[in-house]
Amino acid sequence: MKLTRRELLEAVVAGAVSAALPRSAHAQTTQKRELAVAQGGDIAKFDPHFSTASNDVRVSFNLFDNLTSRHPDGKLYPGLATEWGLQGQSTWAFKLRQGVKWHNGDPFSSADVKSSIERTYDASMKTMVATVFTTIDRIETPDPFSVVIHTKKPDPLLPARLAFYGGQIVPKKYLESVGPDTFNAKPVGTGPVRFVSWVKDDRLVLEANPDYWGGKPDFDRMIMRAIPETAPRVAALLKGEVDIITQLPPDQEDRVTANSSTRLSGALYAGLYVLGVNSKRPPLDNPLVKQALSLAIDREAIVKELWRGRGIVPSQPISKGDNYFDPSLPPLAYNPKEARERLKKAGYKGEEIYIETTIAYVAQDKAMSEAIAAMWKDVGVNVKVEVIEYSVRAQKSREKSFKGLWWGDPTSTLGDPDGMMWRLLAPGGIYDYWRDPKFDELGNAARFSVDDKFRGECYRDMTKIFLENFPWLPIIQPYEDYGLHKYVEWTPNPNQQFEIRRFNFKFRRA
Amino acid sequence: MASSIPASVPTDAPLWAGLARPRISGRRVPWLTMVGVGFVLLVAVIAAAAPWLAPADPLRQALRGRLSPPTLDGTDGRAHLFGTDHLGRDVLSRVIYGSRVSLMVGVCAVLIGGLLGSTLGILAGFSSGRVDAVIMTLADAQLAFPFILLAIGIIAVLGPSFPTLIVVIGLSGWVSYARILRSQVLSLRSREFVEAIQALGGSVMRVILRHVVPNVLSSIVVVATLELARSIVLEATLSFLGLGIQPPTPSWGGMIQEGRDYLDSAWWIATFPGVVLMLTSVVVSRTGDGLRDLLDPTLRGE
Amino acid sequence: MRGFLPFIGQRIVRALIALWLVSTVVFVVMRLSGDPVPLLLPPDAPTSEILRVRRDLGLDQPLPVQYGVFLRNILHGDFGRSIHFREPAVSVVRGYLGATLELGLTAFVLATLVAVPIGLLSAMKRNSLLDHASMAVALIGQSAPTFFLGILFILLLSLKADLFPTSGRGDWRNLVLPAFTLGAFAMASIARLTRSAVLEVLGADYIRTARAKGMSEMWVVAKHTLKNAAIPIVTITGLQFGTLLGGAVVTETVFSWPGIGRLAVQSIYNRDYPVVQCTVFIAALLFILINFAVDLVYGLLDPRIRAH
Repeated sequence: MKLTRRELLEAVVAGAVSAALPRSAHAQTTQKRELAVAQGGDIAKFDPHFSTASNDVRVSFNLFDNLTSRHPDGKLYPGLATEWGLQGQSTWAFKLRQGVKWHNGDPFSSADVKSSIERTYDASMKTMVATVFTTIDRIETPDPFSVVIHTKKPDPLLPARLAFYGGQIVPKKYLESVGPDTFNAKPVGTGPVRFVSWVKDDRLVLEANPDYWGGKPDFDRMIMRAIPETAPRVAALLKGEVDIITQLPPDQEDRVTANSSTRLSGALYAGLYVLGVNSKRPPLDNPLVKQALSLAIDREAIVKELWRGRGIVPSQPISKGDNYFDPSLPPLAYNPKEARERLKKAGYKGEEIYIETTIAYVAQDKAMSEAIAAMWKDVGVNVKVEVIEYSVRAQKSREKSFKGLWWGDPTSTLGDPDGMMWRLLAPGGIYDYWRDPKFDELGNAARFSVDDKFRGECYRDMTKIFLENFPWLPIIQPYEDYGLHKYVEWTPNPNQQFEIRRFNFKFRRA
Repeated sequence: MASSIPASVPTDAPLWAGLARPRISGRRVPWLTMVGVGFVLLVAVIAAAAPWLAPADPLRQALRGRLSPPTLDGTDGRAHLFGTDHLGRDVLSRVIYGSRVSLMVGVCAVLIGGLLGSTLGILAGFSSGRVDAVIMTLADAQLAFPFILLAIGIIAVLGPSFPTLIVVIGLSGWVSYARILRSQVLSLRSREFVEAIQALGGSVMRVILRHVVPNVLSSIVVVATLELARSIVLEATLSFLGLGIQPPTPSWGGMIQEGRDYLDSAWWIATFPGVVLMLTSVVVSRTGDGLRDLLDPTLRGE
Repeated sequence: MRGFLPFIGQRIVRALIALWLVSTVVFVVMRLSGDPVPLLLPPDAPTSEILRVRRDLGLDQPLPVQYGVFLRNILHGDFGRSIHFREPAVSVVRGYLGATLELGLTAFVLATLVAVPIGLLSAMKRNSLLDHASMAVALIGQSAPTFFLGILFILLLSLKADLFPTSGRGDWRNLVLPAFTLGAFAMASIARLTRSAVLEVLGADYIRTARAKGMSEMWVVAKHTLKNAAIPIVTITGLQFGTLLGGAVVTETVFSWPGIGRLAVQSIYNRDYPVVQCTVFIAALLFILINFAVDLVYGLLDPRIRAH
């Protein structure tokens, strides 16, 4: 068949045009109106005060708002509060946003703020966030859009505390009328998404809140799925079944970066992955032994090989990015020879040292345990790795009955050592296996001081005490990575808060 | 009825037929069954000789050489015929050492199950209606139960350890032995049987020793072989679920679990142990079938 | 065994006893496993709170009392409240049951539809290539570990060939790999046993008579073989459905299928007694009911039982 001149011309033009367009233009934009996310575990609770698990916080953080909001850049921004300031040493005053409505139409006011915050530390409620606002003395609501919070002692970090879990504001009227169980089954908040339906172990359906004060998010619906195993979760991303996946382990990253339509995006975790130490159990009660254990770990190799470079070796119990992080401290050293010396000096006679590891509670926990165990064996430590279930870990945590070392991922909730090192290692905290009177004195002094220089010195001294006694063995400050399609414009938040509000999330449209 | 097992070869048979294929109950053992038995012995030898056969220490990590594909010249200058796993350990060595776990757990579990089952079967056969009914109802209940759940439950409670494992797996298989022993005992006890023997002028004891015991033994051998295959698979399943042999000791099921996340990037980690596991299970099962066809086809109905 | 009614009656009694035994074992095992209460509360909860929650859940009573309460409640269909999900255990299990039934039924139907004809054909064409090949495959299906079969399927058919999704429940495509994995054992067993049952029938005298009379092979098969082989085939097939429930635990785990098998495993790890008890009870009940139905059909089919 002979082509007419016209057809030939059209073909040439079409060819030229498509050659001019970038090849992957189609993969990089979308017309989607539904956001699908897959995370590593199912939701247990929608009530934001009854769970701090990351799989729940990702959802509750978007069903609800906080007074203040920490953006991925690390700074505090207005949330439900538009302005705040100190009114005297121990008093903070907040001006609330007007015209905000709850998902069921009720108007938002200061009464909600007061009842919500008081609920967290109400002894009869038994919330999971009871220790977040222990510095608060009383809350006053002079008018529907002002809140005045009096703290027991000067608390410079209160606005930061309000930005994290525990600070999600829940509706007074709705909660009182339906009770906590129905509230948990049909949650109502002020956030950018509304609850639609939930099928356990399958999917959670949320819809965009068109009246959201921060602007309607760039989708009509959001689906949250739970895919606990990593390979299927990555496969779901690569096949286009979901747009974003969380908890992407370094070993799977090649699959995501090699695919032309997906990419990885990570934030340096605002916190540390550590091995908690039961310092009450010999031989872990000897600081020399703990120092030796720390010296025997080749953290460089762990970061470079197991984590493919996606992380940094910690140098102190303060995470990089926090206030008072001391960049002059060297990364924790690897010196097996010195480790043997210290073990000898400590009089270590080959007593068993246990690592009780979970599987995928902290990313790569089992693999790191086995790697560290081999490193310790090399310096003569009699180490045993035992795998325990998450439920058993929770039990041991509560009973403080760990046999030796275990994995934790302390989060720096305030961007400040008060929110991590002090919060978790203080007397009565979940890592309370070791005490030093000077350490405690410094921690308390720094919490209630408004003198920046003084606080810096306290934390510097606390770090020194920490590095001699190692109540934790910091292992890595990793990048917590996510996999996304290239048409997703979104920045991860270092503290695991999954931010899909308008200022942070958008589909790239043609 | 089984008799003793002499090897006898007709003199007019071709030369290769003379290669000692023993006869059992008058029939020659098929090639496949002999190969099967040979395979089991081979696995036992490999397991015993693991320290000499394995090219590397199965526990030696080499983080820099992790996730390497099968190669003759790896990052550390050594050959890794089955590749390395996520901690840089040689997969071939781990598969070889894994045979120890599978065989040890399998054999011990079979022994425990066999002892328990035989005892209960004999008891059921000899005792009055009550005890017999209880034992048989227990057997029914066991079959009603998704046993894997019980296994998981018990191990989650007691913590995974070698003794727990063999007891649990052993417990899962007692029923077959019990049935055999019970029916043998019952038929022994039947008056017709005893009367017939005495009428023929023989001693019941001698009959038991010369005929009944070998019969029972051959049935038990068949069941034990099939149970061995099942126990190996059950151990691997439990290790896959994290409830079997604990790290860093290599076990086939555990390796498959570790390799699950790397199926399409480092497929060798899960595939080699899996194929070896499948091969072992299939061959041992087939051997059991072959032995059954040979020794006691009446077991077919089980 | 004479008479239909005594036959059924005995079966019912045994079934009830089995059910009771199963529940008791589960009760004992779960109670031995330790305290689930710390899982529900924040790590720094005071002891008074632990005691209060324990009291609320009835966990502070002595074991025999708890057992008595447990039995009484079962008779009312009450398995307590799930500790993890905070709703009645029965409704939790009910929510997951549909997925397992879907998977189980599909696996079973698939297994039967594939295995019976193959078994039949293999018996009829004994020692042919088809016979050897299908029996070899059946051997593998029966002895291969279910979890590894599933993983192989995922590797070859999902990851490499991209024909099916790797996990989860969705449309019919999600059902294929798990159903084949779960059904493999049943398929293999049914094929082998069908083959033997048909072989036995084919070797019987009346068949030879029919052949000698000149009837065609197909006719012989259709009229006599199937009718007589039906009893063992039905029995075997029915029994396999029951064992599918056990296999579901592993298959659902490998494929992240949201059914009661996976629920049971997770609940054991979470020490969620009520859900574990309920799941195991319901699984055992299903198994017993199915076996019962099989016995019923067997009793109806087998003239020796029907006759008085």
